[in-house]
Amino acid sequence: MRSQAKIRAEFFVRCWAGFVLLFIYLPIVCSALAGLSKSRYFIFPVRQFSLEWWKRTVASFEVQTLVQNSLTVALLVTFISVVLAFFGALAFARYDWRGRQLYQKLLLLPIFFPQAVLGLALLLWMNALGITPSWRTAVVAHLVWIVPVVTLVIAIQVYSYDAQLEEAAVDLGAGRLFIFKEITLPLLWPGIWSGALFAFLLSWGNFPLSLYTAGADSTVPKWLYSKMVAGYTPMVPALGTMSTLSAAGFLLLGGAVIAFIRRRREK
Amino acid sequence: MARLQVSSGLRYASPVLIFLLLGFLAPLVTVVAYSFASPKSFEVFTSFTLANFSAVFDTTNSVWTSFVWSLGLAAVCTVLLAIIAYPIAYGLNHAFGRYASLVSVLFVFPLFVSENVRLYGWVQFFIKNGVVDGVLNSLGWGPAPEVLYSPGITLFGMVYTYLPFMLFPMTLGLSMVPQDLVDAAADLGGGRLMVWREIELPLAMPGILIGMLLTSVLAVGAVAEAKILGGQSVITVVHDIEIAFTYAQDWPLGAALAVLLVLIIGGLTLAVLSRLDLDRVLGRR
Amino acid sequence: MSSSESAVAAKAPLPILQLVDVYKRFNDFNAVSGISLNILDGEFLTVVGPSGSGKTTLLRMLAGMEAPSDGNITLRGELINNVPAKERPTCLVFQSLALFPHKTVGENIEFPLKVKNIPPAQRKARALELLQMLRLPESYYAKNVMKCSGGEKQRVALARAFAYDPDVLLFDEPLSALDYKLKKVLEKELKDLHRQSGKTFVYITHSLEEAMVMSDRIAVMRAGKIVQIGTPETIYANPEDEFVAEFFGEVNKFSVSLNEEWGWFSQDTESSLTLRLPTDWPGSEQATVIVRPEYMRFATSAHEFDNVISGTVFNEYSLGSRIQYQVRCGNKSVLVEIPRTLARNAAPDEQVMIGWNAADAFVAEA
Repeated sequence: MRSQAKIRAEFFVRCWAGFVLLFIYLPIVCSALAGLSKSRYFIFPVRQFSLEWWKRTVASFEVQTLVQNSLTVALLVTFISVVLAFFGALAFARYDWRGRQLYQKLLLLPIFFPQAVLGLALLLWMNALGITPSWRTAVVAHLVWIVPVVTLVIAIQVYSYDAQLEEAAVDLGAGRLFIFKEITLPLLWPGIWSGALFAFLLSWGNFPLSLYTAGADSTVPKWLYSKMVAGYTPMVPALGTMSTLSAAGFLLLGGAVIAFIRRRREK
Repeated sequence: MARLQVSSGLRYASPVLIFLLLGFLAPLVTVVAYSFASPKSFEVFTSFTLANFSAVFDTTNSVWTSFVWSLGLAAVCTVLLAIIAYPIAYGLNHAFGRYASLVSVLFVFPLFVSENVRLYGWVQFFIKNGVVDGVLNSLGWGPAPEVLYSPGITLFGMVYTYLPFMLFPMTLGLSMVPQDLVDAAADLGGGRLMVWREIELPLAMPGILIGMLLTSVLAVGAVAEAKILGGQSVITVVHDIEIAFTYAQDWPLGAALAVLLVLIIGGLTLAVLSRLDLDRVLGRR
Repeated sequence: MSSSESAVAAKAPLPILQLVDVYKRFNDFNAVSGISLNILDGEFLTVVGPSGSGKTTLLRMLAGMEAPSDGNITLRGELINNVPAKERPTCLVFQSLALFPHKTVGENIEFPLKVKNIPPAQRKARALELLQMLRLPESYYAKNVMKCSGGEKQRVALARAFAYDPDVLLFDEPLSALDYKLKKVLEKELKDLHRQSGKTFVYITHSLEEAMVMSDRIAVMRAGKIVQIGTPETIYANPEDEFVAEFFGEVNKFSVSLNEEWGWFSQDTESSLTLRLPTDWPGSEQATVIVRPEYMRFATSAHEFDNVISGTVFNEYSLGSRIQYQVRCGNKSVLVEIPRTLARNAAPDEQVMIGWNAADAFVAEA
């Protein structure tokens, strides 16, 4: 029973969403154009397209180091955050325990925190401890913000996990480790993968935390910012676009893996 | 058995808790400690003064204006986003059908692109010889009006950046409204507006509240928009904090500002979160 | 038939599980308060009671998922209060069935065998045997368990429990989510399975019908206590009190106070009807006389039954093979249930006489 009014409302909603999406991707497209134009400074309409700045970016030793730093940080953050968040999510959604409500709320606080201030606070703390900031400290900083996010992502999967299955498995004679391997882990895989994907992508694109906690080491977003402020070259939009495209690539790859797990299960 | 579960929960929570204790709480305590140190010094834990806080509240000083800007922009940004995101959240639940997940991925994806890159794209859109200017010039209507480096474009940048943070909690909230209830209310003679006001809105409120909380809190802490798009026509609180820590080398003042910001954000967050049952919102229990 | 019956009879009714004054407290709440019960080897015992009566808690204590706060549970004479579920020869079939959604039907059934490190070939052979026993086609071995229908899932859960080969199977209302027809089929299958396997079944439900159809004995629970225990016939015909009587079917109740010399006649306090009482009067001044609707009959004369009262037909409910009439007697409503073959075309508001014999009524203390 779709009334005329409802069809009109749906039409409006679709147009509006399309319009907003257009806005969201507009600057990303602008940036891509700037990186593909031959001129040193961006002029629209683009007179001559070229891959020159892309080539230069790829060949740049500086950029290679940046990418290596960003990747190392993102991979470490992904691995550590997934392990911490897996157990954190079980405590968040699976078990009923006395401090749970408080724990749930405390866990969310870092997400609500301005990242620049969090970065500065970590800088003060490291300074007080006498630690020199480097990409290693940036990993810690990313984790403070990303572990809660990943915990939430995995917790959503844990909510739909029926704890009675574990009880049934115990009743059928299974031990702790056996249950973990046969029941808990396989059922939570989609959530764990989504969490890992979030962790990697959020770390890969993070700027404010890296700015203050990576010390002399630079990451892709940090370098881009410094060049935006002073010393613009079309390598900035070129590298920005590459970074965006690789994020999209990771998202597709990760999404495909999750879809594969789901499909295999539903067979 | 019940006692055993208590300890399992805490045991699983403890790695995260210990990590956040060292990585979140300890830095916060350090900031608080710094805020009581002598101005422009690094004598943390050794001196105690309220001078930094009185400097912030000194009306002859311009520091307080940054609080006004940040809070004002955040409030407007939150209201605008609520209006912008509601139809889309509705669509994700009711109108997009099998495209809903694709549409949500399209809305999530920008979160993974560094905000610098996205904001700089807007600079290239609005800048002289940029997309707007270029199009208007070629149509003979140029040059385009100067929109960059103003408070307005800062607000625009914030709305742009924080859209997903409003959209997704709101979508979650709307999905908590059982269609049966809406149908029943309409069946009982409720008009569209009445059903929306009496049924949909109150039931979706937890999600909407989380969205508004997230966006307002993040917007109070915004800085990149003001720096990249606003061209320092507006100095936000976090920008002030950054200045105090970097150019001004006045860590205690920066710390005092940070403490005030944290109090505002923390108060807002806990006030909203304490009203919500997270299990219900996240787990649909 | 007769040989198997004698086999059942020959089996000495030794208790396999014994509960002595068992309590389970959650904070200040007594979920189970002082239950003593012998569960006999090989019997089908059903525990019925309204929700919140503590029957699930009782079952979970038998399974080893909760430990009693007080009292003793023994298995063949051995104290098992704190023996964990995985070490007990009991297996619980959950209300939700708790089938592992990421495993196939075969993998689900094989789970307890995999726990015991039984080689795959042997596991598969056993799983196929169980599929056959539960009348599921062999092709289901590789089927996604979530794609099975409600009844099929039920059978898979049973097969998995049998694969564990427990001495006692515990059931937590596993049929409650199924539709009526399927429920009827599975009830009978379960009873057959009980007979075939010779294992002890402890079944909990809030459904009177399930209890009646399947059980050797029924225990009725209320507020953490067992109110009555006995064969289905005993409980139906001789309920201990009003609660049990009402739990096991519809009743007509007359609250009676003895206002004449004790023995024969008394008046319903509500309707001032004078009733002839059954002989097992408890001796107190106040009591409730209970008559099941199927013992009520339409009367043609005032002396046809011990008690005859007159009223008007208010409504008629068809129950399939039987018909119920709601008759208004004064300000009291009385249910009369008769086989459809004896149905009368009662017009609404028609004046009728209804009656019953004193021996068909029973008395519960008020």
